[in-house]
Parts: sequence; C-alpha cells; structure tokens
Amino acid sequence: MPAMTYLEAISDALREEMRTDERVLVMGEDVGAFGGAFKVTDGFVEEFGEERVIDTPLAEAAIVGTAVGAAVVGMRPVCEMQFADFVACGFDQLINVAGKTHYRFGLAVPIVVRLPSGGGFSGGPFHSQNPEAWFMHAPGIKVLAPSTPEDAKGLLTAAIRDPNPVVFLEHKHLYRRVKGEVPEGTYETPMTARVAREGTDLTVIAYGAMVHAALEATDDLDAGVEVLDLRSLVPLDTEAILASVAKTSKVLIVDEANETCAAGAQVAALIAEHAFEQLDGPIRRVASPDVPIPFSPPLEQAVLPSVDRIRDACRDLLDY
Amino acid sequence: MPAETSSTTDVVMPQLGVSVVEGTVIRWLKQPGDRVDADEPLCEVDTDKIVTDIPSPAAGTLAEILVNEGETVEVGVVLARLSAAGSAGLRAGPVAGEDDFASGVAEIVSPAPPARSASLYFSPVVSRLAAEHGVDLASVIGTGRDGRVRKQDVLAAVERPLHTESPYRAEEPAGQLSRMRRAIGAHMKRSLETAATCTTWMECDMSRVEAVRRGAKASSLLGVTPLPIVARAAMDALRDHPSLNATLDGERYTRHEAVHLGVAVSLGEDGLIVPVIRDAHLLSVEQIGIAIRELARRARKQQLTPDEVGGGTFTVTNPGQFGSLMATPVINQPQVAILDLEAVVKRAIVIEDDDGNDVIEIRPQTILGLSWDHRALDGAQAAQFLGALRRRLERWGD
Repeated sequence: MPAMTYLEAISDALREEMRTDERVLVMGEDVGAFGGAFKVTDGFVEEFGEERVIDTPLAEAAIVGTAVGAAVVGMRPVCEMQFADFVACGFDQLINVAGKTHYRFGLAVPIVVRLPSGGGFSGGPFHSQNPEAWFMHAPGIKVLAPSTPEDAKGLLTAAIRDPNPVVFLEHKHLYRRVKGEVPEGTYETPMTARVAREGTDLTVIAYGAMVHAALEATDDLDAGVEVLDLRSLVPLDTEAILASVAKTSKVLIVDEANETCAAGAQVAALIAEHAFEQLDGPIRRVASPDVPIPFSPPLEQAVLPSVDRIRDACRDLLDY
Repeated sequence: MPAETSSTTDVVMPQLGVSVVEGTVIRWLKQPGDRVDADEPLCEVDTDKIVTDIPSPAAGTLAEILVNEGETVEVGVVLARLSAAGSAGLRAGPVAGEDDFASGVAEIVSPAPPARSASLYFSPVVSRLAAEHGVDLASVIGTGRDGRVRKQDVLAAVERPLHTESPYRAEEPAGQLSRMRRAIGAHMKRSLETAATCTTWMECDMSRVEAVRRGAKASSLLGVTPLPIVARAAMDALRDHPSLNATLDGERYTRHEAVHLGVAVSLGEDGLIVPVIRDAHLLSVEQIGIAIRELARRARKQQLTPDEVGGGTFTVTNPGQFGSLMATPVINQPQVAILDLEAVVKRAIVIEDDDGNDVIEIRPQTILGLSWDHRALDGAQAAQFLGALRRRLERWGD
C-alpha cells in the first residue's frame, strides 16, 4: 500500500470516484484552474474538464443550492467550502433544503459538502472553526470527521456513494502532517467508530485532529488508556461508545470545537443516560472554551485543547 | 469559673433488650485520655450474637475504663467514667493559669482514630458490582483519591474469596473460631445436651403450593418462596396442636398463645442467626415473606437488636434452598420443636385418580422434617402436627 498524506488520500478518493462514476462532479471556489485553496483538486480540471470541475463565484448559498438541484436530477456533486467557516453562508440551502428534501418530497439529495476545518495555525476567528455540531443538530444530514488518511479516503468514498447529504469535515491541521498507508483502488470505510488504541482503565473519546492529541497525551501514561476515534458523528456509533465505557468505567471526551453543545456533549449525554451503572467516575470533557478562535498564536494555543490538558485530565480521572 | 475537678459522668452497661441481663465488652474504641463527643461510640458490647456500639452519654474526655475487654457484666454496671468537656481529666494536675488555648492544643496533639474512608459516596458501577456480588463495601479498602472505593477495588474483593475457596485450605493459618461460631457452638451443644431430640419426617405433595407460587393460578403469591407459605400453614397447624408452640425451661413447660416465629438465616461463612418474627400468627403469607426478607437483610448487615433474636416459640429452618433432602435440625432452646423445610423436587409418585385407579404422576415433593423434644412431647404429637401441616399444604388454596 502506498503511503499518503491525509490530503492526498482525500484527493485520491475524489479522483477514483470521478473516474468510476461520471455523475460525480466537484464545485467550489478556485477548485478548477487553481486546484483548490489547499490543492485537493490539483490537476482535476486537466483530467476531468471544466464541466465536472466547476469554479464558482464566492457564493456558498449558490454552491450548495446548485448542488442540491444537480443531485435531484441525478448528479453526485461534491462541494468544497474553501474554509469550513464559510459554510454559514450556505446554511439555508444545506439545513432547510438539502436536509429536508427527502422528508418533504421523498427525493434523495446525494451531495457531499467538504469542510476544511479546525485551528492551530493562526487562522483567526473566520478560518479555524469546527462547525460539526451545527449539522448534528439538523436532521437529514450525515456528519463525518476522519482522523487518518485511510479513513479519509474510505469515508469520502462512502459519503459520495451515500444517498443523503453528507458534511465531510477534513481537518486542515492533518492535511500534510499525518501520513499513513492507504489501500489502492476504491473502498468504503463504515460510518462507525474505531478503537485507535485498546485499554482497560480509561476511555478517551475523540475525532479528527483530537484523536492524535489523545494518542500523544496518553502514550506514556502508566495505564491502559483506550482511545476511541468516532469517525462518524451522524450516525453516532452508540454501541462502540457504550461498549468501551462498560469496559473502562471512566471517560474523557475531547472536542476541539467550542464546548457548549459540541459533539462531545451529545456523547456525554448518551453515556449518562445509558451507561450510568457502568461509571466509576465523572464524565469529563476537554474542549475549547466558548470564545472565537483567537488570531494571536499564544492565545490560540491557550484556547485549543492541548496535549497537556488532555494528559492532566486523564491523570485526574485515573487517580479518581 | 468552675473547678478544674468538674463533674464526671458514668458510662453504664445499658439494657440492650427486654430479655438481656448482661453483656460482654468486646473492644474499647476509645482509650483513657481520648476526647469523645456525645453519642460517639465508646466500645462494642456483645449480647449473645449481637454486637452493639455503646455511645458516649456526654461530650468529654474518657477518664477511666472500669471493665476490660472480654469481661462480662450485668446491666447497670459502670463500664467507664467520662470527665466533662474541658476539665483536666487524667492529666496529672492543671497548671495554674492554663487556659482554653492550652487545652485546645492538647486536643490537637491527641491521636485521632485513623479515617477508614474519606468518601462515603460510591459510584454507580461500584454500587452495582457490590450488589451483584454481595460485597460489603464497608469492608473494601479503597485505593482511589482520598480512599475512595473504585471499581477495581470491588473486583479485587470479589476475586479474593475465590482464593480462600481453593482446596488447599491446609495452607490457611490456624486461628481461633470467631465469636459468632463459638456462640453458635455453645448454643447447639447445650441444646443437644439438654433436650431429648428426636426427628420425624413426612413426605408432602407440593403441587398446589408450587402452582400458586409459579402463577398457574392467579394469586398475589406469584414468585414467593415456599418458606412463607409453609410457615403460614405450620402456624395454622400449631393452632390445632398447641403442645408444639411451647418452651421447656428445666421442668417448667409453657404453652404460648402467640407464635413468635424464629427463622434461621444463613450468614454464609460467618454463621447463622435466628431472628424472630413476633406475633407471626397474625400475619398473611405476603406479610411473612416481607418480614423474613427484612429480617434476613438486617441480619446480614448486622443490624438486628437483641430483642429481635430472642423470645421465639417455634422455629423454621430452610436449608432446602441449597438442594438438601433431609436433616436433623437442632432445637432452638428453650423451644420444643423446629420445622425443617427441604428441597422441593419432582418425583414419580402413585396417586389414586377420581375413579379409584392407581396412576403414576409427576409431582413436586418435599420431605417435611420436625425435630422435637421427647421431654415435652411424644412421637404421636409430632406426627399429628406434621400430618396437619401436610394436609394444609396439599390442599393449599382450597
């Protein structure tokens, strides 16, 4: 298997699906001639032509709305938001149109909206957000957030083939920092959680970039720490979450997103409701405080969940 | 300012139950010189099988212990003396001008009893595991923060008894019998030496009882164990055979109008205790079932009072829950009989059908056993009582 970066794996998935299924097209700001702000679609317009690699105006509502229409008439559009933050401009089309069309008209809307998300590079408040919880709260939309190159490729493939609107969160911090072996050809990764590391003393639940932070934070702890990579937030793998909690009885949930009503809040509620008699300590969370992500590098580092904060929380729970 | 030699308070052996006349000091929890608060336990006192904490009647300093550990004294005897709070107590003599500050220092330097567990809150998983495995959390040493009992501590406590169950028991260090075992032993030995114990058995068809219990007929008794049903039937039979609801103390034989029913409760390896349901003859099967459960629960938590284990007039024991078929129970002195309920098992038995033909049927059968004191009664009375009990059980629900 070839080793690929997280970004190359996403590119690979898109290219493979466009080669095997002519209904698949990509659209977004600068995805064509420029190859995308992060170069995910570099070389695509040369291979697939301007009809299937569409440069759009700076109008996210138009991008998503056009994609919904194309999907309804049989295409499989993959939209790129240049930054996840900008999806707010396409909110109405995504939440009220894409998410509800199946329920209102019985029509499938097989679109994928790719969201380059996350902070850690001084992008400031408009280029660093983790907006996944907005979509978890809106029925009719699936929400995926891979942490490894292999899962990024397999989940994007699964997203493109899924008949529902799928929001696909690709963490910018992982784009070129994470590299791993990726199977050749096409394959789908199931929309379920993955045990990133087995353990019996404590479960750390995370997704996206925080999986790597959790692994690093717990690598040298003198205890068996299980790290559960959610991979999919909608659908949420309740079975895997409850099984891990039953095993370890202690849970730390890590969100890079702002703490209130984040994905981890839903996971915490799930555990409190269904695993109360398994718990041997409080459900703990580490997340970003409820502030916009600061531009200042020291301030940003203070806001985002750090490896140290995660490690301290783990030690605290292990000692409890 | 009151004199330094301020008043002392006596701690006396209390009347721990109507029938209790004496008690044995097991252990002093405080030593002379220790400060005690009002109602703080001073020592443990044993009356037969019940251990009770004796609370301090007042705040102060334990000045003097008058009854040593192991000594048995009558109710009303002074066990110890307290000096009132703030007074000199045992100290050799107050220094002139010594003030509250100095006595405050003395309090601080006196050794405090070691804290067992800082946290009395048990997490959900700890509570659940303890309940599932019958672990007494008070006996589990916590390794969590501030001594909190953690999941792994309960699991370790569950594991531990398994090791002592291993066949290599010879490796266990020899030790003296527990206080409870000695008390049971003395009681049983005394009974066998006192009574002319005989045991009579009778087979009994439990089809009707089992049908009611297992819901073949609509009944509020669905799911109860056979014990309260048999106890109820036995008390009904005692009404017709009152010679068995009696006590024999020396040559003094007394029949009782009320049935105070003793029910043997196993405490596992620790031993056995026989709490008494007072006026059990007034209770329904359901009420007897609840009373048995409640007494057993409190017995296992060592919460019974001495009055709750004395004064019985008739006793039932139920080892059949473990599968045994017959036993020769020892009479609970000074009673004259004890009823033994053994396992209910399916047997092929011969019965006569409505047309007078002998047929073989599969029926739940049990063997009712009665140990009785030949000094007080004869075999005929025992057999008549068992026959009456059997008739009631075989016609249960009519």
